[in-house]
Amino acid sequence: MSNTGLESRHTILRFDKFVFSLPAVKKAAYKFLNAFTADINLDQDEIICTLTFTPPLNEELTSRLIEDFKKEVLDQDLREQIRSETEPIRKLIFALAFSKTGIARDGQVPSD
Amino acid sequence: MGKFQAIELYKAPQTSSYTLLPLRFTPLDQDHYVITNLAGEYLRLRKTTLADFLRHKLSNDDPNYMELRARHFLIDETSSIAPELLALKLRTRYSRLSEFTGLHLFVVTLRCEHSCPYCQVSRQSEDKLRYDMSLEIALGALDLTFQSPSPNIKIEFQGGEPLLNFDLIQHIVLEAKQRNQRFAKNLAFVIATNLALINGEILRFCRDHSIQISTSLDGPQELHNANRPRPGNNSYEKTIEGIKLARAVLGRDQVSALMTATEASLNCVEEIINEYLAQEFKGIFLRPVSPYGFAIKTKSYRAYNAERWLAFYKQGLNYIVDLNRRGTEFMEHFASTILKKVLTSEDPGYVDLTSVRNHVKLPPVII
Repeated sequence: MSNTGLESRHTILRFDKFVFSLPAVKKAAYKFLNAFTADINLDQDEIICTLTFTPPLNEELTSRLIEDFKKEVLDQDLREQIRSETEPIRKLIFALAFSKTGIARDGQVPSD
Repeated sequence: MGKFQAIELYKAPQTSSYTLLPLRFTPLDQDHYVITNLAGEYLRLRKTTLADFLRHKLSNDDPNYMELRARHFLIDETSSIAPELLALKLRTRYSRLSEFTGLHLFVVTLRCEHSCPYCQVSRQSEDKLRYDMSLEIALGALDLTFQSPSPNIKIEFQGGEPLLNFDLIQHIVLEAKQRNQRFAKNLAFVIATNLALINGEILRFCRDHSIQISTSLDGPQELHNANRPRPGNNSYEKTIEGIKLARAVLGRDQVSALMTATEASLNCVEEIINEYLAQEFKGIFLRPVSPYGFAIKTKSYRAYNAERWLAFYKQGLNYIVDLNRRGTEFMEHFASTILKKVLTSEDPGYVDLTSVRNHVKLPPVII
């Protein structure tokens, strides 16, 4: 990932889309809605995030928010991996837990 | 004499293949993460340990390995029963779901003689009869109530000020009790009232039908009256008088109170708690303004931010902990709810703390 300064309120971050998933970047951006908005676009190899910070601003705060955002993208990407890896066993656990409760009858289980 | 084999021969292989179980994680600080799972188990790990664990690189002689296995964050060849155990814990934690909801709120009127700016319903002025629930709606609501598979049904009357439509409350209580002869559920009733209109006749009906009273007490006289305006500026006096009368007729344990913190409350948490002590309550629920109903229109829910709320809450909680240490038994109900949710296998089912992502959001039925 790399970043390019535009002007003080805007920063562009680039994430390699073969390394990071788009949902992970979107979820990370959502977490920081109170501090900045993110315009997210794709090009051939990259996920491009243009961050627009909510004033009041100072350089130290902006730098910290960018670092925190990058860490959050990593965390969200890891969460995606865990979710994918544990999905079959998660379904098994839920089935074991609730199959005999009568909560869901045949054909009445909503698709999630 | 034969030689002994080297000790390494008898040790289990240091890298074991394990399978991750579903988990969530969030950073606590620069170096530590907390992980949680479906059953409410949690563990604090160093960042590096978490990374090793998630990459399947954690050695089985790592001190955290056994904790992770015991708390159902991983399974290996020695713990194949873990999914069943985790399912059992999950099922215990959410056992209330199989009963759907037992709490049914009947908003019998939107009228109120108070004009509290933080009110979470869309309150109407007192003379607009068209804002009362009709008998037809009430009977339909009872049909819905008794469809609940829960053996425990609680009907809570809310408003506005529900006592402004007490005739309908009486009708619903009598009708519910009659229908319950067939259903044989544990049926309970609560009236959420400001007590300004309470009288002996109403209380005798409450006593005869085991109806509990839940009221609002925001703190000392000046604060309460500022928060809860009504003609005569005497909400506090009415509430205290009503609490005493209700306790005398119904019994002390049948009357409870809730507070709401406005901006004016933020500097006097100890005085608010002292008021609850003076009125001989055994605890308090420190609650911020909810962003619903009239509170949206008046913007009162935006009068303070989370940071100021937390400062208020922490000061109050510290004061209550100190009271208990000095021998006065007194509970803060929000802390109690959170601790129960975090530290026990039983989920208290408090709607405001139930995340949609848990797949179990189950609010009360509001009619």
